Amino acid sequence: MRVFLFLLMTALSMASIVAGAADDADSSYRLGNGYPVSDTGFRIGGYATAQVGAPHAAPKHFEISDLSLFLTWDNGSRLRFFSELEVGDALSASEQQSLGIQDAHFEFERGYFDALVNNNLTVRVGKFLTPVGQWNVIHAAPLVWTSSRPVVTENLFSTHVSGLMLHGSVSLAERQLEYSVYGDASDSIDPHRSKEPFENAIGAHLRYFLDDTLQLGVSFSHFALNEPLPVRYYLSGVDVAWVYRKFELNSEIVYRASDHAFSENNWQGFVQGVLPVPMSQHWFAVGRYEFFEQTLAQTGQVGLLGLAYRPLPPLIWKLEYQMGTHNELLAPDGVSASFAVLF
Amino acid sequence: MLMLMRIAYPLLFVALLSVGLPVRAEPLAVIIATANPLNSLSADALKLIYQRKSQMDAEGNRWIPLNLPLPDPLRRGFSLAVFSMLPEEQEDYWNVQYFNGITPPKVMASEEAIVRFVASTTGSIGYVRKQKVDNRVKVLLFITPPTEK
Repeated sequence: MRVFLFLLMTALSMASIVAGAADDADSSYRLGNGYPVSDTGFRIGGYATAQVGAPHAAPKHFEISDLSLFLTWDNGSRLRFFSELEVGDALSASEQQSLGIQDAHFEFERGYFDALVNNNLTVRVGKFLTPVGQWNVIHAAPLVWTSSRPVVTENLFSTHVSGLMLHGSVSLAERQLEYSVYGDASDSIDPHRSKEPFENAIGAHLRYFLDDTLQLGVSFSHFALNEPLPVRYYLSGVDVAWVYRKFELNSEIVYRASDHAFSENNWQGFVQGVLPVPMSQHWFAVGRYEFFEQTLAQTGQVGLLGLAYRPLPPLIWKLEYQMGTHNELLAPDGVSASFAVLF
Repeated sequence: MLMLMRIAYPLLFVALLSVGLPVRAEPLAVIIATANPLNSLSADALKLIYQRKSQMDAEGNRWIPLNLPLPDPLRRGFSLAVFSMLPEEQEDYWNVQYFNGITPPKVMASEEAIVRFVASTTGSIGYVRKQKVDNRVKVLLFITPPTEK
């Protein structure tokens, strides 16, 4: 009898598991969505990028430039976790160097907890992307249209914050206003420092959705970079994104000033357009113009023309050519091509 | 022959008319658990919940929006009604959200699965056809999907 009861209970519990699984169509893997680990709230995913570059004035090169792993935890409570670990240049080769892992390096890209206080306020603690403009917070290769990154999106500030951020959205004139206000203490708390990290910083970004197709953002930051000179900078910027069907127009402009006698004030910006290639579902033409005032050199200017093939939203092939003036250091002339996948 | 034409032409006209005109889609009921104190919801608020921009209800519970599978005609109708775009056209949005650790609404296998989940899970919200609504759940609003082109 006990054996019968045991078998019955086992059968019932198996049936309930099967019934639950039949209700939930979400447990399978989909490219670009990560892999949900059963009902634990954990999800594993990431992205990878392979890139070939042929600059005019430097050796041709190949890299697996990003191999990023995301780990997300969200079990429906008020607390959630996100982390991104990256192996940079996992595999590389150039005209002067054979294929190998000699340039591979580990990066602790992001790692933070979000605590939802209410519907309008979330508190983030940890290391996250600096909310200046739009590109930096979505910079992953599968999400952007070009292999190269506009200078303005990384040159005048640190791309990462280690500290605290209050973020959320409120309704303003029947439209959404998203806000992020952050404080950085990288010097004290970040064990794996980013390239050119903040020493400390405070800042904010506001993004207003004028309608479903048009977003307008403003950024402010007051910071010190981790560099020999104790200089404090003031940064302000505007960003615009217009997306209509498969057409896109984006622009970011940033101005950075300092009160230090030896530090120059700089304007930088770009405008980029994306058009679907006629008669094609998956081909896109990309054009970009950027300018960048730079310390110890004349203002650089670069024009870029590119083509992107996106058979599925998480997959993209890119080919582009850029050329300009006074751009040797930050955005050199040449051709580059890449493949990226969000998995 | 004349008689035949008199019958055939009106029939042909009606047939062409029925092909050319959109068939009015069934209204969808947006449902939550009967125990939830919320009694109505605006279409804008629903949109924010399904974009996962609105994360908590007035009681402080996390919203758990539910979807039907991608090819389901009700999912497609819901998407057109709420976002003015098809589910596959939202993939760019969800890829960006995924990069920031936010996942799309949970996908349930059927309308009955949605009703069962909503009835038993605090904060969950879903959509089903009007005739699938029973006393386990309550309706917050009805939406009428436009016809898919």
